[in-house]
Amino acid sequence: MRLIIRDDPATVGQYIGDYIAKRINDFNPTAEKPFVLGLPTGSSPIPTYKYLIDLHKAGKLSFKHVVTFNMDEYVGLPRDHPESYHTFMFREFFSHIDIPPTQINLLDGNASDLIRECNSYEEKIKKAGGIELFLGGIGEDGHIAFNEPGSSLTSRTRIKTLAYDTILANARFFNNDISAVPRMALTVGVATVMDSREVAVVVTGQRKSLALSKAIEEGVNHLWTLSALQLHPRSLIVVDEDATAELHVKTVKYFKSIERVQEEVERYHAELVAKGDPHADQGVGSME
Amino acid sequence: MSSPNGLVCFTNCLLPQEDGKLVEKDLWIDEQRGVILDAQRTFYERKERPGKIVDLCGNILSPGLIDIQINGAYGFDFSVYEDDQAYQNGLKNVAEKIVETGVTALVPTLITQERSSYPKLLRHLHPQRGEKSAHLLGWHIEGPFLQMAKRGAHNPTLVISAAGGLKAFEEIYGSENMGFTEDWLMSDSSETGRVGVRIITAAPEVEGVLDAVYELTKRGIIYSIGHSNAPTDVASSAMAHGARLITHLFNAMPQLHHRDPSIIGLLGASPHLSSYFSPVSSPTASTPKSTFRRSLSLKSKSILPGIFNGSGKESKKSLKATSEAFDDSDSPPLSPRSLLYQAATMARTPVATLDRPFYELIVDGIHSHPNSVRLAYNAHPEGCILITDAMKILDPNLKDGVHEWRDGKRFVKEGIKLYLEGTTTLAGSVVTLDTCVRNFVKFTGCSLGEAIKCATFNPARCLGIEHRKGTLRPGADADFTVFDKNGDVLSTWIKGKAVWNCS
Repeated sequence: MRLIIRDDPATVGQYIGDYIAKRINDFNPTAEKPFVLGLPTGSSPIPTYKYLIDLHKAGKLSFKHVVTFNMDEYVGLPRDHPESYHTFMFREFFSHIDIPPTQINLLDGNASDLIRECNSYEEKIKKAGGIELFLGGIGEDGHIAFNEPGSSLTSRTRIKTLAYDTILANARFFNNDISAVPRMALTVGVATVMDSREVAVVVTGQRKSLALSKAIEEGVNHLWTLSALQLHPRSLIVVDEDATAELHVKTVKYFKSIERVQEEVERYHAELVAKGDPHADQGVGSME
Repeated sequence: MSSPNGLVCFTNCLLPQEDGKLVEKDLWIDEQRGVILDAQRTFYERKERPGKIVDLCGNILSPGLIDIQINGAYGFDFSVYEDDQAYQNGLKNVAEKIVETGVTALVPTLITQERSSYPKLLRHLHPQRGEKSAHLLGWHIEGPFLQMAKRGAHNPTLVISAAGGLKAFEEIYGSENMGFTEDWLMSDSSETGRVGVRIITAAPEVEGVLDAVYELTKRGIIYSIGHSNAPTDVASSAMAHGARLITHLFNAMPQLHHRDPSIIGLLGASPHLSSYFSPVSSPTASTPKSTFRRSLSLKSKSILPGIFNGSGKESKKSLKATSEAFDDSDSPPLSPRSLLYQAATMARTPVATLDRPFYELIVDGIHSHPNSVRLAYNAHPEGCILITDAMKILDPNLKDGVHEWRDGKRFVKEGIKLYLEGTTTLAGSVVTLDTCVRNFVKFTGCSLGEAIKCATFNPARCLGIEHRKGTLRPGADADFTVFDKNGDVLSTWIKGKAVWNCS
């Protein structure tokens, strides 16, 4: 696992946006071999989306050959409800980039058969060749997607009851009316996320700091589902200073040192590739 | 250049909202059907995104301006009929050229006519639109049922009463022109047999008018109070009968008196008074002091005792034509009418009525002082509608001087002022609607978005077409005016196609 610490949410968005852009561009996607990207909703990824839109408008990034899968959607909320994740994704991201609508996948929270909807979503991911990079955020209780505390770490896409914490936190989007917040959601499972070849998670703000500490400084635990990332071979968490409030000083220093080493190794490797070293064509991997 | 899939996205622009705010947002349209799209549904359900993107460089993409009172433009007077061909050409010419002032829909307005002229004129004024021209929405008629003393530039010999109520209206305009089934927006392309009645301006105190209001309103015709001397209770009664609009507020009506605020006072009407406020008082004669003997024929004792029992004072200044903007007779304060009258007029079940009317403002800085404009707007912002009341001489490219009008009369253009030749009577205006929008911002201190609302959404709401015009709602017509941040028109779009460009 890599932990990248930046000053504030904007620079976090910039880092992770640059990272995603580099991954997509290096992948050199085509119609036959699209880049498959997993996407979150919520407030944490907004600076990332903004930055990706800027890169797109500057002509540095295209989504023509990107296929996306979103993490989750409320059950029973109309698609064009202002708080639906369909609306969120369109408003914050899809309407501003060049992705063809046919390459977008979102769970349908109004499907007549929700279980079949979930199973076919897993199928679709498989058919697309699996997710190359899953971008995520977390809740204050450490949930990734809607995998609330206590979710199985081997879970797949399914119907999920929202934890009371999450309902409370989301009430602000529904006129502070707790009864208006949907109680159920469809969400990809922890294992669905873990199956992707790479996971990048944005964690910003003091309110998420305890969850961050639990997820990376303690053991793998289904009460903090983000902690499952400890078992992922290629995961990246990008946080701001506020989110580090509950971390040990030692942890912060360790990860900062990794970042420096990583940069050095990558620079060295890039030189090797430039020189045409026949063995240097594989990815660098992570230095932690 | 058209879009490969027929969809266009306007981006990098500010969209005026129905609440007067300007919001930075994209707008998607279908340029083939000429309608605004629900972008999100187009994306998720139709699975398409626009093949063409129009960058508006941070400018304002407004619904097209709507002018609900305009007498003519570009040398053509809607009230002058020569022959069918000339009239059709004139209409077409106005509709094509007016887009340079940001107007994409208008209600051609007729002033009081010879009785024989109405059928000839109205036959041509059904709703219609060309590919590249502004949408003609039907007609607005002022007169002939006007208060003589407030006739303004209308021909006094043609002003009459409406004894008989609705019948009188049907006799004058032709019952075939006042039908029940209108097709305002021309859902089919048929060009003939359409009924174009939209707005009728008449004075509520004139005999028979109030009787007709209820019926007119029931037919979806907008009854507008104007050219009137109505005291407060008559004006309020007109509202209770379904009046929806005040024609060129402040002009051709009594000035505001605090005890009898008359028509202007309707802007302050409280929804918390169960019926309009009318203090008990003796039914003293209120006298419009009409200066023409003719007014005697307008007496209407049966309905409005007292209103037309003119004092008989014949003013010497009667023949001096003066302005619509200033009273040409001693207007009220008129004393409030008795409760008896109120009870009599309220007995009828009213059609859907408003607390307060929409009102038209000519924002040229002449027909209403900027202070008055601001007063009215602050009193009732939701009802405010900007109009030009423009004469045929309206043409942003025309020079000052003397110009032919009609009936051998001529008028003098001085900048944006327009007088009957040899008089100080303001004869309509030559201001353009986009100028009114800019003036309105200066006069009231409102935002450009709020001013735009008064020339788009408010008039559409008054006409009851706010789902198709004056709005950027999905499904509405893709008629746009692009403004820069100073309110200058950069381009005009009809049905999704650019029809005028400032460059």
